[in-house]
Amino acid sequence: MEPQLSWYLALSAILFTIGVTGVIIKRNVIAMFMCIELMLNAVNLTFVAFASFFQDVIGQLFVFIVMTVAAAEAAVGLGIIIAIFRNRESLDVDEASILKL
Amino acid sequence: MLALLFILFAGMAIGCALAVVAQRNPLYNAIALIGVFISLACLYVTLAAPFIAAVQVIVYAGAIMVLVVFVIMLLNVEHEERRRNRLKFLVPAAVVLAAVLIAEVAFMLVSVTNPPPAVSNIGLTGSIGAQLFTRYLLPFEITSILLLMAIVGAMTLARRGGLLSSDARLIPGVQQLPLSMVDPRAAPDDLRLVETDSSEEAARLLGVDPRDTERD
Repeated sequence: MEPQLSWYLALSAILFTIGVTGVIIKRNVIAMFMCIELMLNAVNLTFVAFASFFQDVIGQLFVFIVMTVAAAEAAVGLGIIIAIFRNRESLDVDEASILKL
Repeated sequence: MLALLFILFAGMAIGCALAVVAQRNPLYNAIALIGVFISLACLYVTLAAPFIAAVQVIVYAGAIMVLVVFVIMLLNVEHEERRRNRLKFLVPAAVVLAAVLIAEVAFMLVSVTNPPPAVSNIGLTGSIGAQLFTRYLLPFEITSILLLMAIVGAMTLARRGGLLSSDARLIPGVQQLPLSMVDPRAAPDDLRLVETDSSEEAARLLGVDPRDTERD
């Protein structure tokens, strides 16, 4: 039996939900950041699955651009994390409830 | 055969994803996340997308995760300590949302049907590159600007507070400093005075390591 498109969509939905759960329950900024990466990857899986089953290259192009955005997000996000840690000596999001550094 | 591979890698992906959420040590989170990325790359190969699979391993599992692990090591993060459940009132909402997810997955498994199969070369590097440099050139160029902005932004954010160079030395004792020397966002000619109560506070404001002065 060949894998169906619906299998990939179901897997993507499950991974995305696990990522959302992580963002909600985690208190460490870096762990939340990694859960966001997990959500981005779940969406990428949907793009690649649709691109493959509908024989359209645009889905894979979009995955490529999503990866670039994720890299930019990683650079800026980790810069912000370092700035927060330097000011508050903590990575707990509850401590960083004021936007001002 | 492909179905077996799908079940294997999907199981790996879900298991590693659960580990990302369940583990309390950020380093273990990162390693589990690398597991998710690798199993997703394998799934991309079964979806006939070898280029995306390679980029997934190189960019995600390679570059981005190295950056994350580097920051974890740099900040020397402690274990997340256990605390009482502060989200108790959200439990019913979580149950409802989980039911929605299960319904959604069941709906997809039942109703989404495969389009008719066709032979093509969409996953190959050549076909992606041809589209990327012709029809989708504008998004590609915008992405390059985005990356440049990310580089500048990351450097601005991660820079130490003051505007002094790293070999600057601190004058010990209580002192008054012009605002333009302390705050990078202030105008360069802003000479309003900031008072400090100790050498340590002056060092912190200026971004100078106070041990440098003790050594002299």
